[in-house]
Amino acid sequence: MLIDVNSYIGHWPFRRLKGNTCKEQVARMNAAGIDKAVLFNLNGIFYKNVQSANDELFEALKENSEYRKRFIPFATINPIYSGWKHDFEESVKKQGAKGIRLYPLYHGYELSNPACIELAKMAKDHKLPIAMALRMVDSRPSSWLDISKEWALKDTLPLIKAVPDAKYLILNLANNSNFGAFDKDELSLVRKTQLLMDTSGRMVMELADMMKNYGSDKFAFGSHYPILDPVTGLLRIETLRPEEVSNADKEKLCYGNAKSFLGL
Amino acid sequence: MKTQNRRNFLAKAAALAVAGSALPGAAMSFDGRGTMTDEEPPVLRSLAGEVKKYRKIDAHAHVYFTKGNFEQVIDIADRLNIEKLVISRPMVPGGKGEPSEFIDCNNLVLKAMKQFPNRFFGQLTLNPQYPKESMEEIVRCTGEGMIGAKLYNHVKINDPLFYPVIEKFIDLKMLILMHMGIGIARIQYDAREPKGVSIPENMVEAALRYPEAKFQLAHIGGGIDWEAACKAVIGVPNIFVDVSGSNNAAHMVDFAVKCIGVDRLFFGCDNSFYQGVGHVLGANLTDADRNKLFFGNYNKYLKSIGRNVD
Repeated sequence: MLIDVNSYIGHWPFRRLKGNTCKEQVARMNAAGIDKAVLFNLNGIFYKNVQSANDELFEALKENSEYRKRFIPFATINPIYSGWKHDFEESVKKQGAKGIRLYPLYHGYELSNPACIELAKMAKDHKLPIAMALRMVDSRPSSWLDISKEWALKDTLPLIKAVPDAKYLILNLANNSNFGAFDKDELSLVRKTQLLMDTSGRMVMELADMMKNYGSDKFAFGSHYPILDPVTGLLRIETLRPEEVSNADKEKLCYGNAKSFLGL
Repeated sequence: MKTQNRRNFLAKAAALAVAGSALPGAAMSFDGRGTMTDEEPPVLRSLAGEVKKYRKIDAHAHVYFTKGNFEQVIDIADRLNIEKLVISRPMVPGGKGEPSEFIDCNNLVLKAMKQFPNRFFGQLTLNPQYPKESMEEIVRCTGEGMIGAKLYNHVKINDPLFYPVIEKFIDLKMLILMHMGIGIARIQYDAREPKGVSIPENMVEAALRYPEAKFQLAHIGGGIDWEAACKAVIGVPNIFVDVSGSNNAAHMVDFAVKCIGVDRLFFGCDNSFYQGVGHVLGANLTDADRNKLFFGNYNKYLKSIGRNVD
């Protein structure tokens, strides 16, 4: 069994994407043997009113019963935009979002913003995970219209510290994500937090060592497709050697950790 | 054709996933209403099997001065079934690039070649601001078995200082691999880049001036504007392009094939090994073209200088 915790539909305004519809995502999943995928709508980054992107996401899922079985939809919430609590109610209680997606760099707020902390507490109360990526694309070759800032893993700490009992899905570990980047207390906090990191990012180079240091329950297969290629996130798991990771831990990476984290 | 129901299909997929996860390639035929069509179902390919299936020559790799580095590079190459790696040791970014530095770098590569003669091909580095020492290094390093040059960012590849170096490599029939800077993706040159860094347009100018020379444009996944780079070299037959780098943007390889053609592309990792292999396996290529990219194209070059593998 395979669960991809990081996939998208929607558009990227600076480059033509392929594979960015539910139909194409299901085709990719079928060809790769992926049973379920966490699904985000990229348009939630660019629409000022993010609820329109959530509406699009759930309308797309309505088109086909297969989509509703295969995808785990996350709603995008912008906690500094009007009506975000209404968006939360709408997307979680009426539309059935299984998690919340934040884009602080694109939407222009700090994780320490009181509204963001309030949103995290609401997500926690509803037992919903909160997803964030260290970056969406490699900022170097992106457009002059795109943002240029990227995060390291440590940049997620302000929210984790503020709401330590929420669940966090951290995606695309593209920059410093080494356990050495944290001081002792921070590392202890990360280890204790219900936090899951996906395998799509370029800093996931020595996954077995990262599992030893953060915990074997802290990682799960994620592709970040169709921004990144569909294979690399899985290749990092598939090429682990038996002496590095047991079969049981490999299964946790492929689906077990995602399943328990997402409450499937 | 026989229709396969979804339950059977997923049972097969699950069985394959136990043996080793599958990967996309042939798109699943799916009619958009949740039912399979009558088209031929795709062949699920085991990812572990695919890694083993293709022979690979990594056309852009590096070794470092850190203890145990050669073994680390070989270890990850073994994991990904990379048979040969074309290694170099570029000089420190932003440094003066004096002869003592490039000689040290080349000595490291020679040491690696001696330690793993069946795995590493070496490339020399130089700085044309020191013409005498650079030309001496070419003679010394190719004499010791190196197969080309990896040049960095001290001088642009189309600068007249490079002309004697290019002419020497024409005589040797060897490739010049040139680092590419982030360039103009954000209109202005990236602030981290030195003035001497090359961009694809500089290589095109050099390639048109010297049509008998062979150039390798470095790492379209290395942070450069890969769409711009691929478009810049359309129709320039003596520029080969390596797809290495840490940026494994989806469909980059497909775009490169569309612009440049598969025959002028080299597989490479620039030490981002998972991305290098992953995005070639994820590209929409025929088996024959994937073989060319992973192995055949670079081996053809090696054959042209009498150093081919098998």
